[in-house]
Amino acid sequence: MSADEFDPQIERLFAQSPSFPDAAVFAHSLEARLERTGRLRTLAVTVAGVVGGVVAVSQGLGSNLSLTADAGEAARVSNIGLANAATRTQQAVEAGLADFGVNLDLASAGGMPIFWLGAALLIAVALTGAMRLSQEL
Amino acid sequence: MNRSLADLHDVELAARAAAGGRREFGELARRHGSAVRALLRRMGAQPSLADDLAQDAFIQAFQRCAEFRGEGTFAAWVKRIAARLYLKRVAKEARFVEEAAAPDEIGPTVDHIGRVDLDEALKGLSEAERLCVSLCHGGGFSHPEIAAALNLPLGTVKSHVKRGLDKLRARLQGPVGEGRSANVG
Repeated sequence: MSADEFDPQIERLFAQSPSFPDAAVFAHSLEARLERTGRLRTLAVTVAGVVGGVVAVSQGLGSNLSLTADAGEAARVSNIGLANAATRTQQAVEAGLADFGVNLDLASAGGMPIFWLGAALLIAVALTGAMRLSQEL
Repeated sequence: MNRSLADLHDVELAARAAAGGRREFGELARRHGSAVRALLRRMGAQPSLADDLAQDAFIQAFQRCAEFRGEGTFAAWVKRIAARLYLKRVAKEARFVEEAAAPDEIGPTVDHIGRVDLDEALKGLSEAERLCVSLCHGGGFSHPEIAAALNLPLGTVKSHVKRGLDKLRARLQGPVGEGRSANVG
């Protein structure tokens, strides 16, 4: 703004705003809109989390990991690695659960129950995270 | 310590709103809603459109509240968001007619006790002059910013602002010898 444009009276007039009689209504309606937007966002994030979890589970079921002896040498070596990792994970989970007083023998439970337990835990964690995230947003 | 929202400074409320505080943001809207609505009307928006755009501007401000650092005032920040929304709308509707004439009939801009009515005085400006003057003096836009936003040459924007201000000054003088330095209403 150049010096000849500066006019204290006009500046003052623009700085002042009329008070609208429906100012409170405007603010209430804005708050309601924010509330609605927040709920929609929470719903969208939750649905996305559930869909993601379901996709993850279905992908896990469809991966069809083979632990049979007729696999190639490379697959056999990698399967041994996977089996070792699974065993170590089982032991870690058993130890963790034991700290909370829960004694479970996951090795005797078989593969599928553990898989479903893990999937359920993952979905629960994803849902909790989604809810917290939506509250923060 | 549990202070009421009315006691909190805008910057503090904005920080809480950035963390998801809708009530705090509601307080900001209560404080500055009228200023944003008034600016949009002064720019030339019809009252219902001005209110809708003001709401959109506040929603955007809520979503981007973390960007507000308190360098300027919160009201000025939301006003800029609102002004940009209106400019987008004007560009989209291709409604902006650079040389649109000002209406012939406007109401008095200075009342019998010398209070001036800026909103009434702005009606005496052409659409382009009104938009440019309001953006410059009400929205805090610089001339180059206005030129870029309206896709007009810088010289044209400067002319609009100058002509608009000259008209405003003439309108705000009121009847000869009355209320130049009187109350502002």
